[in-house]
Amino acid sequence: MARRLVSLVLAQLNMNFAISHSRYYYLKKRQRLWEPILIALSIASGAGVLAFGVYALASYYYSAAAAIGQGAVTLTLGILIAQVVVLILGFVLVIAVFYFSNDLSILIPLPLRPAEVIASKFAVILANEYVGLAVFIVPVLVAYGVRAGVSVVPYVLSSILVFLAIPVIPLVLAAVPAILLMRVAGLSRRKDTLAMVGGFLFVIAVVTLQMLVQLRAPSAGDEAELLAKMLATANSLVDVVGARFPPSVWATKALALSGTWQGLSNLAVFLAAAALGFAVLLVIGERVFYHGVVSGFEAGATGAARRASRMRVAAFTSRSPVVSLAIGEIKLFMRTPVFVLNGFTGFVMFPVMFVLMFLARSSPEIASLWDALLAAPGADAIGALVIAGYLFVLAAMSAIPFTAFSREGSRNIWISRSFPVAGRTVALGKAVGAEGMIAVGALPGVAVLWYLTRLPLSSVLAGVGLGLLSSFMLCVCGVLFDMWRPMLNWTDQQKAIKSNLNVLVGMLIGAVVIVLMYVTVSFCVRLGLPEWAVVAGVAGAIAILLIVAVKILGVVADELWVKLEA
Amino acid sequence: MDDLSLEVRAGEIFGFLGPNGAGKTTTIKMIVGLLRADRGAIVVNGHDVAKEPVAAKADIGYVPDNPDLYNRLTGIEYLNLVADVFGVSRDERRRRISELLEVFELESAVRDIIQSYSHGMKQKLALIGALLHEPRVFILDEPMVGLDPKASRLFKDMMRNHCDKGHTVFFSTHILEVAERLCDRVGIINRGRLIACGSVEDLRERRKQADETLEDIFLELTAEEEAK
Repeated sequence: MARRLVSLVLAQLNMNFAISHSRYYYLKKRQRLWEPILIALSIASGAGVLAFGVYALASYYYSAAAAIGQGAVTLTLGILIAQVVVLILGFVLVIAVFYFSNDLSILIPLPLRPAEVIASKFAVILANEYVGLAVFIVPVLVAYGVRAGVSVVPYVLSSILVFLAIPVIPLVLAAVPAILLMRVAGLSRRKDTLAMVGGFLFVIAVVTLQMLVQLRAPSAGDEAELLAKMLATANSLVDVVGARFPPSVWATKALALSGTWQGLSNLAVFLAAAALGFAVLLVIGERVFYHGVVSGFEAGATGAARRASRMRVAAFTSRSPVVSLAIGEIKLFMRTPVFVLNGFTGFVMFPVMFVLMFLARSSPEIASLWDALLAAPGADAIGALVIAGYLFVLAAMSAIPFTAFSREGSRNIWISRSFPVAGRTVALGKAVGAEGMIAVGALPGVAVLWYLTRLPLSSVLAGVGLGLLSSFMLCVCGVLFDMWRPMLNWTDQQKAIKSNLNVLVGMLIGAVVIVLMYVTVSFCVRLGLPEWAVVAGVAGAIAILLIVAVKILGVVADELWVKLEA
Repeated sequence: MDDLSLEVRAGEIFGFLGPNGAGKTTTIKMIVGLLRADRGAIVVNGHDVAKEPVAAKADIGYVPDNPDLYNRLTGIEYLNLVADVFGVSRDERRRRISELLEVFELESAVRDIIQSYSHGMKQKLALIGALLHEPRVFILDEPMVGLDPKASRLFKDMMRNHCDKGHTVFFSTHILEVAERLCDRVGIINRGRLIACGSVEDLRERRKQADETLEDIFLELTAEEEAK
């Protein structure tokens, strides 16, 4: 069994990181060899900069914390943040990899136990988590090691083990409800909808819990008690901060006390907890996993009544190719749970965060500051810009436009490629479809912002109008970028979005534009320009950018479409 | 592909034959614009596929070897999408879709999600999608795979009817009996090279073996080619 499992895991990892695929195309056939080199260099430099930033921040944080004898809290915070992020994103990841992988139809008929399939899929998720966590948690571990002057060998050994175990517990915590949800969803005809709703509820629950814990202002009594404890005991803050998630305390103590019996016992507890969690997952998975998966293969047939019904005349609708492609794009996206869970997370999370932040402003100082901000001259105009910025950020974060072609994958791209329409028509259809989804997805957030800011309707409408212009501009850019270098070869739908560098490019473009706009608007306001004139200026700039983007689409899309080879 | 030169005429059914890996699918993908030829030209009804891809595609109806369709759409949604991009008018699509659904017996399933279809049903839906706009050139990669005997027979009749209207059918197949019975001409390729082209009668005459079947000719030709 062990050999079979190892073989399975190795095959899964090979597919996940496209090792054989890359070797074949880049080394054997030497196709576009410059591309992986360039990508690797870009990722390495980007990751290097990020890692250095985290290192510097952790060092700074350590200095401040160590001054009051609380240096180890640096580790606790780093580990805690990493685990919470893994927990929030883990649910969607588990549903995607466990239930919507392309290879399930190959794996299920094989003589494998459900637990073996789960173990191999879990290994794939872990491997992906390690890649992401390496950039974030390794610098924290190094910063603490260097600054605290630890004993090298035991600290490094403990660090490796802790690093390997960090994502296990949150992933198990996400996987168990995901498996149970899919088991229940499998019983329903609307299993996709249930999976989506369940996924969003999980994300909302975790975000709400985290924010409520974080935003809960300590009472005067608590503060005094905390201060006294901190002054009396070194690293007592670790227990306070880590109380939200005890494994982070065990991991911290395993590292901070590495080389001592206490450190070793904490390490043992941390590893045992991870192993126990994994074992529980396997036991539950062994019992229910296949029920959820197999039901996914069953027909979504809609019953005899519908079968018997004759097609209505309305079924034969006629639309322009752009509109038809846009509608097709929306339908395909909205009916794929993994895409919706990934693309719409921001649409759900932001309104929840806005509401929670509003509810949590218990301090009268913050409340009065908020009121003063809203009463400030030009607040209406700035509010419109905030709403526009919200739509733009959603477009940048949603990954919808930047994966427009990637999502079709090598299996489906032939359909649109064989249509007798120009590349610009296909690109425009996808951009319009993406914009449609973003516009609808932004509504709850805009409604909450409107309620919280009490802006006049005209400001909200101006903000939404400007937001639609700017997000459509980003959609056009995203669709073109994904047309240029789509990621068509993926083993599960999650990879089409999460492992797609185009999404990162979209976020970077979004961040750069937002920062530039912020700096420009701040500068103009400081110069004393009327706020609405600034809004008009921003609208003009966005309109020009949009026209340029559409012109570029008209010029390059046909050529890119021809070059796009499945 | 290696110096492939081929002309397929209007009103004929052309069978494209060859062993696995000979280049049949690659050739078809190049004709329909899914792959680019590094040299040479592919012209469909006077339209160069590389220079006028949209015009060329408008004349083509294509069904790939493995019809992976949009699983999350219903059959009718998929057909409407295809009809929209091919510019099939509302009345025309209603007539065509109803007619083709009836022929392929998919009426009862057309409102179901494609994910629920069997391989054969997907194949039928892909065929309907490709025939909706009455393409002047109908290109199919292994079209018989997955079709039940009745649908297969219907489909063969449909191919003949399509050609009788002056249109062209170009298809690849491994089923040599079908090719022998159905095709006006066949082309045999191996390792990317066209090693024979003509009617089955022509090929027999060239090999001076009057009683040979297409299967015999195919096996001998490919064996000779392998031996070179």
